[in-house]
Amino acid sequence: MSARDEILSAIRTRRVKNAPRPARYAPPPPESDLVKQFADRARRTAAEVQILNDLSDVPAAVADILRGKNMEAAIHLPPHSPFAALDWKTAPGLSLESKSPGPDDAALALVPFGIAETGTLVNPARDSAPASWHFRPGLEIAVIHTRDILPHMENVFARIKQSGALPHTINFVSGPSRTGDIEQTLELGAHGPKALAILIVEEA
Amino acid sequence: MKPRVGLFVTCLVDLVRPQVGFAAVKLIELAGCDIEVPATQTCCGQPAWNSGADKHAADIARQVVDAFESFDYVVAPSGSCAGMLRIHYPELLKNDDAYATRARSLAAKSHELISFLVRVRGMKDVAARSNVRACYHDSCSSLRENGVKTEPRTLLASVNGLELSELKEPEVCCGFGGLFSVKYPEISERLANDKIADAQATGADTLLGADLGCLLHLAGCMEKQGKAMKVRHVAEVLADIHGPALGEPR
Amino acid sequence: MTASTPQEFPAEAHAALSDETLKVALRRLKTHFALGRQLAFTRYGDMEALREQGRAIRDYALSRLDSLLESFERQVKSRGGQVHWARDAKEARDIILKILRETGAKTVTKGKSMVSEEIALNPFLEANGMHPVETDLGEYIIQLRKEPPSHIIAPAFHLSKEQVAETFRESHTELDPRRSLEERTTLVLEARRMLRAQFEAADAGITGANFLSAEEGAAVIVTNEGNGDLTRLLPKTHIVLTGIEKVVADLDDVSVLLRLLTRSATGQDISSYVTVMLGPRNAKEADGPENFHIVLLDNGRSRLIGTEAEDVLRCIRCAACLNHCPIYGAVGGHSYGATYSGPIGAALNPNLLGVSAARHHTNASTFCGRCAEVCPVKIPLPKIMRYWRAREYASGLAPKAMTFGLGLWAFAAKRPALYRFFSATVAWTLRKLGGKKGHVHALPIMNGWFAVRDFPAPQGKSFHHLWAHRK
Ligand code: SF4
Repeated sequence: MSARDEILSAIRTRRVKNAPRPARYAPPPPESDLVKQFADRARRTAAEVQILNDLSDVPAAVADILRGKNMEAAIHLPPHSPFAALDWKTAPGLSLESKSPGPDDAALALVPFGIAETGTLVNPARDSAPASWHFRPGLEIAVIHTRDILPHMENVFARIKQSGALPHTINFVSGPSRTGDIEQTLELGAHGPKALAILIVEEA
Repeated sequence: MKPRVGLFVTCLVDLVRPQVGFAAVKLIELAGCDIEVPATQTCCGQPAWNSGADKHAADIARQVVDAFESFDYVVAPSGSCAGMLRIHYPELLKNDDAYATRARSLAAKSHELISFLVRVRGMKDVAARSNVRACYHDSCSSLRENGVKTEPRTLLASVNGLELSELKEPEVCCGFGGLFSVKYPEISERLANDKIADAQATGADTLLGADLGCLLHLAGCMEKQGKAMKVRHVAEVLADIHGPALGEPR
Repeated sequence: MTASTPQEFPAEAHAALSDETLKVALRRLKTHFALGRQLAFTRYGDMEALREQGRAIRDYALSRLDSLLESFERQVKSRGGQVHWARDAKEARDIILKILRETGAKTVTKGKSMVSEEIALNPFLEANGMHPVETDLGEYIIQLRKEPPSHIIAPAFHLSKEQVAETFRESHTELDPRRSLEERTTLVLEARRMLRAQFEAADAGITGANFLSAEEGAAVIVTNEGNGDLTRLLPKTHIVLTGIEKVVADLDDVSVLLRLLTRSATGQDISSYVTVMLGPRNAKEADGPENFHIVLLDNGRSRLIGTEAEDVLRCIRCAACLNHCPIYGAVGGHSYGATYSGPIGAALNPNLLGVSAARHHTNASTFCGRCAEVCPVKIPLPKIMRYWRAREYASGLAPKAMTFGLGLWAFAAKRPALYRFFSATVAWTLRKLGGKKGHVHALPIMNGWFAVRDFPAPQGKSFHHLWAHRK
């Protein structure tokens, strides 16, 4: 017998329990409106959150964030990024990079879904957004539209399934990278981004 | 008619501290019950059960069922023995056709002393006096197997002159664990020391508890290290029965 | 440091009890993890309903383990991934080596995986010319120090930052020996820099999985550092190594378990990263592994099904039971001499290592019940430890002195009249020995008791005697 068949038949012969499928879990409803809860919870994960009126405000906001952190005025955009179409002249001096970001660089991502329950960004892998870009840079700046903020993780899975074939990876990001591995004390920026800034764009 | 209570004395009370048994009798009578002490009881069988000696444990369990099933209630001045009767007997005898049901009905009417007084008999206070600054040790089996937490505190609050303070970590084990205390003495001692330090930091002079096993272990460790704190079973204080504390000079 | 064996538990525990660095570290587990858990539970609201749901989800999955695994396999294959089945540790190691050889891999980055420790993968890969690099910071540190993990989610918690600095200085010889390594931040950044190069160079990555979902064919991992993702995404080949019991029905069930896992583990509402891994990259996707393999390990898990210990398979490896265990809290993880320590170790190890080899793990418990109380999926850990003790006893593996003593005691306990006589005699004797001082200092028997305690002297007559003669 193959290992597979042997394992499966061992499970079948030994089993006595027959536990029923539990009813679907109803997570606690949001305490406030979704955007507010999302922003609050994201801040709790040590993300910085700003609310913008319009997508066209993104370049200036990016420039501001980089300046505030004393970082080089350069932002990495993946090939096919929807942000390439923005008017970057509103952020003079800021250079756009398309190569893969290094551990001290900043990268910009459009995030398709957010979770209000935990302030989480959800990134299904796709052609315009390499999954590794959420982990390579020192700073990730994530842009999310208010309409894409859903209450719970379950809602996001439902949306992704509706949209057709599943991607190779779905990355859920809540705050910057962190570790408590040295003396149980929290340090940010273990392997992934040392900082995460979220720009919530309010539009229909 | 008064309910008939069978007192499960427990082997440690029988051997070391009979006055806890008399305190229990007094309190149960005050709670409006008739009390009897079946002579065919010995031990609840915990040492065997916890060591995995299931056959011995089952023999002893059957003996306890025989001796106590005719009572309205079975009460033990120990959380772990009560837990044995309430939780482990049904498990232990589940495949014994003659005893499975009887073990379950015994379990349903068995109680730890203090929780019996407060929850079943509605006792709210006692007429006792004691000028001690006490702290209370929740034994793991009282706390987690029997869900006893507020009951001893309710009754202690009514003891005239007694001042009660709380440990910082009341839910942490004291390291007794029955035979564990003999099998792994050093680990047991570390846990006892943590518990003793916690108790001493409250400023109390007396440590009370409802499980004689834990109390003998804690008092024994204190004796060995020359730490002065009196250790007593809570029933003694509630029943206004005094005399030397555990391990104290006569 | 060489790893100890489970049989050496008493000696290891003895040494651990006087290790001051360890003591400080163990106290931090309480103040950080245990307290964090409590705060997270309070913030959430109805945690009890969530735990009950978690238990039910795991029980449902375990009672359909075969069909869920088949569904999982079908889904992974349909997206171009491969699924391998391993009966035991050796099969799993061989499968992994074969995959690595076929893809020409040499440098292998690794995400934190207890299953990898369980099958002792690293030494095997090294012996076969591979270069495995642990990338979780804690795992990286102990790999450099050649130590086993001391905790299932915080493998290096037992070390001080000075010890980590020393390790980095000895290992990162290419860096300036005069650099300052006093701050934790500096240490973290140094590891970040050193490991980034390894991620870029790796030919293959190996991670574990916290959950598998049957309906979608997903493997899910939870990390805070992002190392698991760089391990998966940068190399050409990604291998997931995990136990067969990790599967649940679907991603909604995973969502529920995630709420329990991170709160119980570190007190976080969610970890920084949760990654749902569904297959190799497809033509349209910008990056990701070209080859995706899942290795499903049994290694005795299926043997537990239908036994009184089967509930242990519900475990989601959150480590709450370790963080709340008084024994673990006194002696730490290395004392156990095994991959899994603490209460979950005591429940798993008799099956993995043998009832006799793991006897200290199951016996070194007071059955205080704290572990079962905090377990997010309500595993009755003391009941399972007791089950292993019963197996030990029934197979005649328990120490002879103990079975003999218990036999003698039980003989009397089953004969009330005889028992009365004995207890009266013992009470009287101890009372005499206690004399005026009221406690007995030593006896030629019960060394375990008298090693650390005196015995408070009995009052003299037994209760039953006094009761029978009361007026
Ligand atoms: S047994 Fe329970 S508490 Fe312990 S690691 Fe597993 S899930 Fe967590």
